[in-house]
Amino acid sequence: MSSTSPTGQAPTRAPASAGAQAEGRRRPSARELGMRFLTLREGSIIVVAILAALFFAIRVPTFWTHSNFITLLPYFAPFAILAAGEVMLMVAGEIDLSIGSVSLFAPFMFYEFNQAGLSLVPCLIAALLCSAVVGVINGFFTEIVGVSSFITTLAMLLGLGGLTLIISHAQPVAMPGADVTTKTIQVTHVVNGQQVTLPEKVNETGTFADIFGAGTYSELIWALVIVIGVQVLLFMTRWGTYTIAAGGNKLGAAEAGINVRATVIRNFIVCSVFAGFVGILEATRASTVTPDTAGASETMFRAVSAAVIGGTLLAGGEGTAIGALFGALFLGILRDGLTLEGVNADYLDFILGIAIIVAMVINVYVARIRKGSGRAA
Amino acid sequence: MQPEPHVVGPEESQASDDVLRVEHVAKHFGPVTALRDINLHLRKGEVLGLLGDNGAGKSTLIKIISGFQKPDEGRLLIKGDEVELSSVDHARSLGIDCVYQDLALVNELSVFQNMFLKREPLYKPLPFVNKRAMKRETRRALDEIGVNIPRIDVPAARLSGGQRQAIAVARTVNSDADIILLDEPLAAMGAKEGAMILDLVARLRSEGRVSIIMIAHNYVHVLQSCDRVNLIQGGHITFDKPTAETSVEELNEIVVEEYRRARMAAATDGAGASGNGAR
Repeated sequence: MSSTSPTGQAPTRAPASAGAQAEGRRRPSARELGMRFLTLREGSIIVVAILAALFFAIRVPTFWTHSNFITLLPYFAPFAILAAGEVMLMVAGEIDLSIGSVSLFAPFMFYEFNQAGLSLVPCLIAALLCSAVVGVINGFFTEIVGVSSFITTLAMLLGLGGLTLIISHAQPVAMPGADVTTKTIQVTHVVNGQQVTLPEKVNETGTFADIFGAGTYSELIWALVIVIGVQVLLFMTRWGTYTIAAGGNKLGAAEAGINVRATVIRNFIVCSVFAGFVGILEATRASTVTPDTAGASETMFRAVSAAVIGGTLLAGGEGTAIGALFGALFLGILRDGLTLEGVNADYLDFILGIAIIVAMVINVYVARIRKGSGRAA
Repeated sequence: MQPEPHVVGPEESQASDDVLRVEHVAKHFGPVTALRDINLHLRKGEVLGLLGDNGAGKSTLIKIISGFQKPDEGRLLIKGDEVELSSVDHARSLGIDCVYQDLALVNELSVFQNMFLKREPLYKPLPFVNKRAMKRETRRALDEIGVNIPRIDVPAARLSGGQRQAIAVARTVNSDADIILLDEPLAAMGAKEGAMILDLVARLRSEGRVSIIMIAHNYVHVLQSCDRVNLIQGGHITFDKPTAETSVEELNEIVVEEYRRARMAAATDGAGASGNGAR
């Protein structure tokens, strides 16, 4: 690390040897591979997340257990999905603050559609369509009218939170399809050579609920699928290239013939749909949903933090979904680890705040090394 | 308002091998008139030099031809057909491509991604971009032009001004466009890189496949690289001659004359107001 001087902006810092052998096919050494990993955009946050995990594993014996891993999941999986959506938008140079309210709004729409008589899967689709409409509205005001996305989506955060309160009459509701049913089944026992049939009660959740949030690994699997999907979309498709171009050089992208408006509006829709989906996953997991607008704002801040900690620039042009996943994981580990350590709840946010700053300082330092090494996004 | 010099009208040139004709095009930005009445034509295989002062409307005209902006009045004929360009993509589908003054490069994307921006090859039928083909083609195109860019997988942010210009020009030349617009391709270029671009234009000119409109400030470059010169003044084309029939002196004379006339007009207008017309 220390052998490369951190000359941040200098564009000519490429090591002299790298240029000559750039396109030669040759096996890189272990040290070089390590360097390459660290200089990936998301390399630093992966290291930081692993360090945090090691720290708690050494200090708290219960940290490195399967049951704690299960406890950790809801601390990070939903935020990884939200952050992946946010990355799509932040790379394009915009931001969506309304995701908190969307993740509250969607499960209530789900409930309303169910009350209207739709079955579960159509309810899910309809609720996600409602979320997509929110994305279209955000995109319309940002890209067509020209209001900054910070303002557009801040207004949407407040307005949609309010609308959710109106729809729900500020009352929590039970999530349809997520109710834990108790079934009585007849079990045959053999007692003293005689068959005795006795009734027994069994708790179970429906298949729909198991897939969409209630299953132990449901949210984790969705998070991994979505993060990998966004990563592939960003770096292997035209859509992703145009997203980076729109965030990096909006005018230049337009001059090159890219439909910047359409690209950004599409990303607003993706971000909103992910938020609505997370809302439904979380509501199904908890089997109820409470119209808690303050909690919705906090959800949004945590997701944006995860994206930024994961190496996504607020200014646009750079960012990865893998980084956002590890950003969310880092925040989850911190929260879970500090709780296990028995840190007073009053200190929790205070320590979280300091930890975020420390993580970002490490991030910035590693980013300088990366610029020196000259890798493209 | 001011006495107009000889203005070139559309009827003066009716060659049938025009690949591009601009007729009576006007463009306003709010109260500012960028183009008043532009008439211009470009023949197949021709290199047309476009001269004019800063703010004369050269870049606006280029942006209209490239489909980036829409004219308020007038019409475009491309290869004989009247078209209303709806977008850059539309213009490109008709074979028009442009190197903008700001180059339209994305710093965050690699050199090869910039080379293929909005033209990315795909692994069909999959929607994934074929980076290997992009790298191979980029390397080939850059070698052909003779520009020295050691690594094509680094972000465009790491290139020098001249290298950036070279990438932007190479990108357009490497496309299948047959009408190429170059907006000050020699700006920000060192002498060596400038010569490279001029050589490239000379090569394209000798091949005769593409037609080029080149905006430039240097009369010598224009006389050397172009077949014909047009001059924009006050939103009109005021001068249209083959380079063989004109000279640096003549071009200079026209531009200086316009400058004097503009100053005299300003002096007359401003005399009543503040009386400091002469200084």
